[in-house]
Amino acid sequence: MVYTIKSSALLIIGIIMLAWAGLNNSGTIDGMQSYLLASDYKDHAKVMKKYEAQLKAATDKAAVAGEPAPEMKMPASKFDQSKATQSKMSNFFGGAFVLIGLFTLVWKPKPGNLDYFVSVVPGIAYILLIAFIVRWGLDPIFGNLGKAAEGTLGWNFAKIFNLNYVVLGIVIGIIAVNVFRIPAWAANGVRTARFFLKTGVILLGTLYSAAELAQLGGLSVVMIGAFVLGSVGMVLFMGKRMGTPNSMTAVLSSGMGVCGVSATVAAAPVVQAKAEEIAYTIGTILIWGVGCMFVFPTIGHLLNMGPVQFGAWAGTGILNSAQVAGAALAFDPRSIETLKVAEIFNITRVLFLPVIVLWLAAWYVKHEEGAQKVNLTQVLVAKFPVFVLGFIAMFALSSTGVFAPAGHYKGKYFSSSEIKEDKLLKSDETSALQGELDRLRGAEGSQALSKYLTENHVTLGKRNVTSDDVYTALTELAANKKIMTREEDSVLESLAKMDGLDETAKEAIGTAHKAAYHTSKSIKEYRNWIAWLFAFGLIGLGMQITGKALKQAGGAPLVIGGVVGTAKAIGSLIVVMLFVKEFI
Amino acid sequence: MKNLKSILLAHHGTAGALLAEALALETAVAGQTQIVHLLVVPDFWDGMQGDDWLNNASTRDAFGSYVEGLLEADVKQQLRALEGRCAELGFAYKPVMRQGDPTQCLLETAVQEAVSMVVIGPPRPRGVPGYRSRMDIVKLARGLHVPLLMAARAST
Repeated sequence: MVYTIKSSALLIIGIIMLAWAGLNNSGTIDGMQSYLLASDYKDHAKVMKKYEAQLKAATDKAAVAGEPAPEMKMPASKFDQSKATQSKMSNFFGGAFVLIGLFTLVWKPKPGNLDYFVSVVPGIAYILLIAFIVRWGLDPIFGNLGKAAEGTLGWNFAKIFNLNYVVLGIVIGIIAVNVFRIPAWAANGVRTARFFLKTGVILLGTLYSAAELAQLGGLSVVMIGAFVLGSVGMVLFMGKRMGTPNSMTAVLSSGMGVCGVSATVAAAPVVQAKAEEIAYTIGTILIWGVGCMFVFPTIGHLLNMGPVQFGAWAGTGILNSAQVAGAALAFDPRSIETLKVAEIFNITRVLFLPVIVLWLAAWYVKHEEGAQKVNLTQVLVAKFPVFVLGFIAMFALSSTGVFAPAGHYKGKYFSSSEIKEDKLLKSDETSALQGELDRLRGAEGSQALSKYLTENHVTLGKRNVTSDDVYTALTELAANKKIMTREEDSVLESLAKMDGLDETAKEAIGTAHKAAYHTSKSIKEYRNWIAWLFAFGLIGLGMQITGKALKQAGGAPLVIGGVVGTAKAIGSLIVVMLFVKEFI
Repeated sequence: MKNLKSILLAHHGTAGALLAEALALETAVAGQTQIVHLLVVPDFWDGMQGDDWLNNASTRDAFGSYVEGLLEADVKQQLRALEGRCAELGFAYKPVMRQGDPTQCLLETAVQEAVSMVVIGPPRPRGVPGYRSRMDIVKLARGLHVPLLMAARAST
């Protein structure tokens, strides 16, 4: 079978992308970009003003000295950088798509791997074009409109309804499949969305510190464990009371309890669910999941939840795993801290999946006469999520310091040697520190310091911090104009919280602390790529949600699903608000 | 009825379809009319893996094969049953299987098979369990170039 469909669509998409890069490079669309990249453009105006002032000063100086006017290059502003990024990406992908598009038109495809790989490219290009339009166009347009309407409405509708690139991308994906249908040339490539989402999860592994993973892992195991078992049990109970067939109860409980459609797909053959039971269950889960993806982030913002709280709530309360990622990014699209939390919950759910499928298989065999017994080992091996191993491998690599120095926290690491000259403390700051050092060495000061350290149990590792530690850290900082070790940084951070400390000295400690921490370039790149991979994957997954499948929601699954889904969402919200703090 | 060469019967074993079957067999002329049995696997099954992305390809394949097996067994059962009844009554029988939108499939099959008449069951009453994949009666009436006969609802 030949998969490649001859079409000029790929070539056209490539040309559109190259045209966008060209327009950006030439500055032709700077007017439009100044609207779309409004906040970056403000920075651009500042940089330009500063540059013009410097140029004028240098020109005047040169004129006085009788020298020719100096040549100065304007430094790149955030606006220039954003435009350059768009150009780079558009050139890279546009160029590749044009070449492959031309190749597709002249090539006579034969069955084989090359045919298959070529056949997925147009679909990938189709999703990527939508991702570009959404992220660079619709997202800022809605952002600007939301801000503009705030004066009249009194609230930012774009923020409240989370009209950002993630939600808009999924909505456009759903519209594309239901209104326009996926073009035949794109169908194969659209299915690769799953692969890109899994790649995103694997790359996420680079962003966790061991402490974060341990804390989030522990929290997710407790919450998922309780709510998975609770909802599976609740469905089994309700199914029995409502007299639904065992196969329907079993397939519904897996979907409701573990990870939505994925769990239904995994459990249906094992519990021998009937066709209409599968249709009802998947319809119910999809409709519930899509609804939650829009409602959860809005509630999260209204309740002023933090990333850990929202990630834990979405990760537990939303039935379908795709919508967990969607809701997390919808809630927090700029940083991916909420996604990091939510994905740990997703991974925990998928690790629970083989166990729950086995449990339901055993339950079904026990309750259904003539049910076929399942091979436990086969189920465990077949259902094991292999991509989780990739996530663990990336986490392990990250922990060894391949991407950022070992011990980095959220991609940030301490390094005294990398502090640039212009980030060193100024003389007024070192004087203030010296003054504080002298004061704290005095009778009154040392007494106050000692009291502060004891009362606040200031520790360094397992030992208590002494006044001498503080004197050494302050002396070193004043002498070197920068923090030399992580231990000294820790001591000084504690000192900065002491009442009565000179404000300039306090600010100097803060400045020195900031200067000593650096963001790993590779981790920064990973963050950017992860956001793109998830945006791409979620648009593609949106294209798998058909209205006809949603319409199948009904029957007993809709009743049971409604009750259990609501109980799970509200129950997990209460638990999160009561017990989960922003402690990561 | 004269010149009733073939009747297109849309039938998937539902209560309404059984009423349509009875009407078609009653209308058909033994030895003259061919019953063209249209069996549609609705296109909503295309989206039935939904947005699952966590499973391995093997799990998705197992699910796909399982659902295909279920639908295939159902189709075979329906075909066998109607074929048997047509044989008993002396009607020629031709099965046509399609996958897609039921209304569109019916319109296309009516043209392709050049049928003399189309017989369908009454719309399923609201609240009765079943797939949400109904015939669009208006679209059907507008698109068909042959008579459309709809069985009456069963009296309650």
